Amino acid sequence: MILPINAYLIVSAVLFGIGVYAILAQRTAVMVLMGIELILNAVGLNIVVFWRYIQPENYSGQIFTIIIITIGAIEMSVGLAIMMLLYRNRKTVQVDKYQDLKG
Amino acid sequence: MNLGEAAQIFAFGVFAFISIAGALGMTTTMSMFRSGIFLMASFIGVAGLFILLMADLLGMLQIMMYIGGMLVMILFMVLFSNDPGGDMMASMKMPFLERFFSSGLLPQKKIHRDSHSHHNSRNNNNQADKDEGMNMGMDMSMFTSLKPYAAWIGLTVTIVFVLLFLLFPDWPVKNFIPDQDSSHRIGMLLMGKYMMAFEGAGLMILLGIYGAIYLARPGKHPDSKDRNDPSSINEEPPQAAEDPIEPFYNINLKELYEKSEDEK
Repeated sequence: MILPINAYLIVSAVLFGIGVYAILAQRTAVMVLMGIELILNAVGLNIVVFWRYIQPENYSGQIFTIIIITIGAIEMSVGLAIMMLLYRNRKTVQVDKYQDLKG
Repeated sequence: MNLGEAAQIFAFGVFAFISIAGALGMTTTMSMFRSGIFLMASFIGVAGLFILLMADLLGMLQIMMYIGGMLVMILFMVLFSNDPGGDMMASMKMPFLERFFSSGLLPQKKIHRDSHSHHNSRNNNNQADKDEGMNMGMDMSMFTSLKPYAAWIGLTVTIVFVLLFLLFPDWPVKNFIPDQDSSHRIGMLLMGKYMMAFEGAGLMILLGIYGAIYLARPGKHPDSKDRNDPSSINEEPPQAAEDPIEPFYNINLKELYEKSEDEK
């Protein structure tokens, strides 16, 4: 354990901040989904770091990361379907053009 | 410090750099395809960090699920969404990071985008559409107008988290080498203590696939009267222009068959 725990935590915090920026600043739905993926990734890294440094004998932390990856996959596929539906209905993919929810 | 520790620090530096630089490139580049590739680099960096943390199964899962599965899906979505590419590069002043990460993108030739002309009656924000139509090259930026605020919010979140992590008194770190055979331990946990979570994730994947297919199929609602027939369109193939060779489907199979029967 040559590396301090804070080194990994700072990496994951930076990834989380970049993901927040991506979600808020991007106009396209795909880029917003990419930002969400980045945040999920940062959270998974954080969980694995805490598993390794605080409770290495209890493998439950890795289970949570597996569940997070699974949820990310589902979210991505449903997001793709919703985006295709919205594109078919509105003929645009810019998120700031989606101003009403009526299909 | 022996060689192994130095190698560990070096590997951490490389993977942390890859993941953070990939994430930064993802948010700042002007080409969506390129940002998908940057996101892949970021995932590879995080997978390397997982392996450094002795979570080798998770590192493999990260590469297989995120890069093999989700990034293919993301790149498929990019095809839908009118990638601006280097379109706006000619007329925009960009901050340093954006200029750096989108270096080498060339402004495309103007192509007429039929798919993006907004003649849909459903779309009632006509003013915005007219604006977009007028300065097609200018208003294709990938960022909303709130970009500076978003940057400040992201920076604030990062700083708050870093300060929280640094100012926390001391984490109760255990110096303990976990079991080398982590996949065995995870498998036992998944099939034992976390059985319900595992099965629930499976059920959720099934529901997600069902929902995705339900949403993405043609038509609006099965009961709606103006729902399209969900079959593919039967279209005559376009005639080949001045093809000297006779098309294959003009050969009368029946004649050929009768001819062969006569020969017998």
